[in-house]
This record gives sequence, C-alpha cells and structure tokens, in this order.
Amino acid sequence: MKKYLAVIKTEWQRQMTYRINQFTFRIGNIFEILVQILIWTAIFQKTSNIGGYNYREMITYIIIGWLLSFLMANFGFEDIISNHIQKGELSNFLSKPIDYINYLIFLSIGRASFTIGVALLFNLLLLFFFRNSFIVSKDIFMWLILLAMILVGYFIKLFLSILIGFISFWTVDNAGVFYSINTLAKFLSGNYFPINILPAVFLNFSLALPFIYTFYFPAQLYLGKISIRQGLVGLGLEIVWLAILYFAIRVVWKMGLRKYESVGI
Amino acid sequence: MAIIEVKNLSKTYEYYKKQPGLWASMKGLFHREKLYKEAVKEINFSIEEGELVGFLGPNGAGKTTTLKMLSGILYPTSGEAKVLGHIPWKREPKYQKQFALVMGQKNQLWWDLPAMESFILNKEIYEVSDTDFKKNMDELVELLDIKDILDIQVRKLSLGQRMKCELVAALLHKPKVLFLDEPTIGLDVVAQKNIRDFIKDYNRKNKTTILLTSHYMEDVKELCKRVIIIEEGKIGYDGDLASLIEKYAPYKVLKITFEGEGVKEADISKFGEVHQFTPNSITLRVPREKAKNVARDILSSNLPVDDILIDEVDISDVVRKIFSNGK
Repeated sequence: MKKYLAVIKTEWQRQMTYRINQFTFRIGNIFEILVQILIWTAIFQKTSNIGGYNYREMITYIIIGWLLSFLMANFGFEDIISNHIQKGELSNFLSKPIDYINYLIFLSIGRASFTIGVALLFNLLLLFFFRNSFIVSKDIFMWLILLAMILVGYFIKLFLSILIGFISFWTVDNAGVFYSINTLAKFLSGNYFPINILPAVFLNFSLALPFIYTFYFPAQLYLGKISIRQGLVGLGLEIVWLAILYFAIRVVWKMGLRKYESVGI
Repeated sequence: MAIIEVKNLSKTYEYYKKQPGLWASMKGLFHREKLYKEAVKEINFSIEEGELVGFLGPNGAGKTTTLKMLSGILYPTSGEAKVLGHIPWKREPKYQKQFALVMGQKNQLWWDLPAMESFILNKEIYEVSDTDFKKNMDELVELLDIKDILDIQVRKLSLGQRMKCELVAALLHKPKVLFLDEPTIGLDVVAQKNIRDFIKDYNRKNKTTILLTSHYMEDVKELCKRVIIIEEGKIGYDGDLASLIEKYAPYKVLKITFEGEGVKEADISKFGEVHQFTPNSITLRVPREKAKNVARDILSSNLPVDDILIDEVDISDVVRKIFSNGK
C-alpha cells in the first residue's frame, strides 16, 4: 500500500512542475463551457421551454454537469497507457514488484486530485458569474447519492480509459480510435445536451450503458427530475458496471501481455 | 547450484509483410501476409552465483529478447528458464525483488523530476527499509560520485550522469541478479570507463550475478571472464574469453617498429601475413606456435629492428570474425 501512496506523491510533484500546462488546460475548459451556455442562451431567446427544460434548468444542467465531469475526469488517461505500451515503458513496471493496474489507479488519483482542485477553482468562478441562473439544491439525500455517484463514476471513467488504452496492445496508432470512442461516450453521457430532448429510444439505450451515469443521470438527479429512489437504482446499476469493467480490465490485461512485445530497442 | 538456468528457450515474433508503395498498402488493408521471426532459437546456458558473463552478438541476434524473457517482460514461445529458482514470466514479487534490469537505451527514472524522487519511489516499490535505503544510497552515491546531481531534473542530466542514476535506481534493493543491456551505449570513453569500473567493483564486492550485453569490446575485455555469443538466435560460443581467442584466433600478432629508413614490404612478408604496413612499423600475423621463432628470426635478420612486441589478436577482431562467419 505504501508504494502506491508514493506513486500519488510522485505524481503530485510532477504535476506541480508543469503548472502552466495545468492552468492553460483549465482556461480551455472554461471556454468550452461558456460556448455551451452561449448557445443555449441564444436558443432560449426565442422560447422558454425545450424538451421540458427552462433556461435556468438548462444552465444548471450544463454547469453542474461539467462540475461533475471534472470531478470524475481522468484527463486523457488512455494516452498515458498507450504510450507505456507503444514505447515499451511498460517493461519498467513488468520487471518490478508493482501491479500495473493498481499503479494506474493510484497514478490517476494522484493526477486527478491535483487537476480537480484547479478545475474546481475555475468552476466556482464560473458559478459565481452565473449565480442568478443556477439552481441550488438543498436535498441532503440527493447530495449523499450524488457524492456516491461521483465516486463510482470516477472509477467507471477510469476503468473505461484503461480498457481503451489497452487497445494499444493490438494496434499501434490509436489516436483516431480514442477520439471516436470518447466523442461517442461524451454524446451518450449527455455531455453535449440532455439526452432526453431526443426520442426516448436514445435515453433507454443509454441507461443500459455506463456512460450516462457520469453526466446526465447525476445532473438530472441534482435538478430533481429523477427521484431519490430512481437515483438509488441508478447507483446500483453503476456499481454493477464498475464490477464488470474491472473484470474486463483484468482479462484484457492478461490477453494483452501475451501480445506485448516490449518494442523500442 | 546455478542461479540462472535456461533450457531450450525460444521466442518467435509475429509480424506482417508490408510491400512498398501505396497500392500494396491498400491491398494490405484486406489481406496481410503473416510472417514469423525466430528471435531466439532453443538456447541453453546456465550461470553460477557471482559470475559476470558477457552476452555478445550482433544487432538483432536475440540478446535483448533473452534478457527480457529472463526479466519476465516477455513470454517465451517455448522452453524453460529459472532464475533464483523462479520462472521469470510468472512475475512473482518475490523474484522481482531480487533482480534488476537496466537498459542503456531506455530510462526508468521519472523524466520530469530529480533522480532522488525516482529513488524514493523505487524504495517503496521494492519495500526497502529506511536504514537499508540510506546505507545503499550513501554507498552508491559515493561510488558513482553523483552527490551534486541528485536534485536536478533527470531531463537536464547528461547521458553519463543519467546512466549512473539508472544504476543507482536499479541497485537500491541490492538485487542478487543484474541484467545490464548495453549500459555504456552512447557514453564517452571516460564515462564508459567509470561505469565499467563501477560494475567491476560492485560485482566483486557484492557477489551479484551479472549478465551483460555490450557492443564495446572494451567492456567485455575488462569485465567478463566468460562470454556467451549468440548469433541469429543461436548460441555460437559459451566459455572463457581467453579460450575464445585461442579457438578462433589461431595466430598471434607481432608488432614491429624499425629504425631509420625502415623496410620494404617484400622484405618482411616472408615472415608471415602482413596486416598493417608502413616502412617504420608493421603488424604481422603468425601462427600461434610459431610466434616465438618468427620473432627470433626477425631480430637476428639484418632488418633495422627497433622494437618487437608479441600480442594476442584483439578480441574485437575475433568477435567480428565470428559474426561475419555466421553470415
């Protein structure tokens, strides 16, 4: 256990070395959120209700959704794994008494905890500017379930990234695959817009997949559009997905190692 | 008991044939021809405790592949290997704590941080106690003389400094077995010598079993009593470095310098095969058993001899000869 805490510590130090990178990334994020807010603000000039959302609900959906997705983000973790595999750096881990998957989990915690801190700061700033359009929830049960969903959601996203990163065992240049999968996942999670403004089939399809529990579902819960009971069912489904993904990672890892050629020399 | 035991170990890589040209690439989208490269073919050897063995061979001969299998990074296609009684590719932590792999062309240090941070991380990974860590650290820092560079970002170190730090990172847990893959590659002669001296000292003091690959014959000459030569995945020679020279170089070298005007090539070529010639200095190859007689003949001839030296053939020449025979 101590060795994995050391991984977190080392990663914090690494992150602090590159603080400008951190800072500029977050500025980009803010722009992305602002663009979404602008679009919806423009649309709501003509109408007061879209797919059951009024303006304040939509803005709240966007801000809380992004807040949630920052809390669960692993910031392109699949690239790190892909690099390890493609450049043969994975060998460093295979020859040492450390479990690579556990290493990845702790590395991501070290990496995310630092970044999330910075991202939260920026988001609170945004929240301050849009405080008049933001709905504040006071339901304590909702908050408890939301916290649990954030925690589980973080690992769901992480495990998905690890699984995607492991593709690199089989194919070399994966930027395209990563991009497409991530865009699809973003859509299915409701990151671009609330998924229920589309025909119901999309929502039903998404509910069976893990992505939705990292954005749309908790945001809806926050807005009170999903009951506490439904929220608990969602949390349960999320945990099932977490277990499935963890199992999948272990299986794919074993298969991948058989393919691993430790190239680069 | 042998520390490293390798039996019929083989590794075959799969790859796809890629014809040059765009059209061939397009065809390749639908049908690809799978090819196999046997990197290591049924090799056998065993190494005893405390030995420092040189693992030689041309590029692509299978040296690194073998080291990777012994480190548990690659699964073999067939065959067996045991190091310290463990099967490497089972990757048992108990085994992993007892060996280390250093690759001259790769780094295990955290690029963005001072080397010290990587050492601390390795301390935790290998579960080295605080007292052992301090003791080993002090010893290694002293031996390698790197006190001043511990707090500098690794990316800013020179290659030689980095290699020293790599060695420290690999030795902090006092491994019983050490695999060194070209530890001196790309270093200048001084740095090469430093690393070489360190390896020699370390092996003598700690009785660490070391398997080393290098393309620098200086390394091999200085460090290894025994060498294993691997060519195209097969072992071509396994034994003493000294007898390698006797076996593959059945002659000695006479280096003779002449005074004044010097000599003509015709005058000297009757004594043996002239290898290098300038009027004032020549190198002559003569059969091993005749070396002494030829030297005496030259000295008693009327040639203006200034100095004469009987020497073994250079090991690099021998190895070069072995490698080119295989082709």
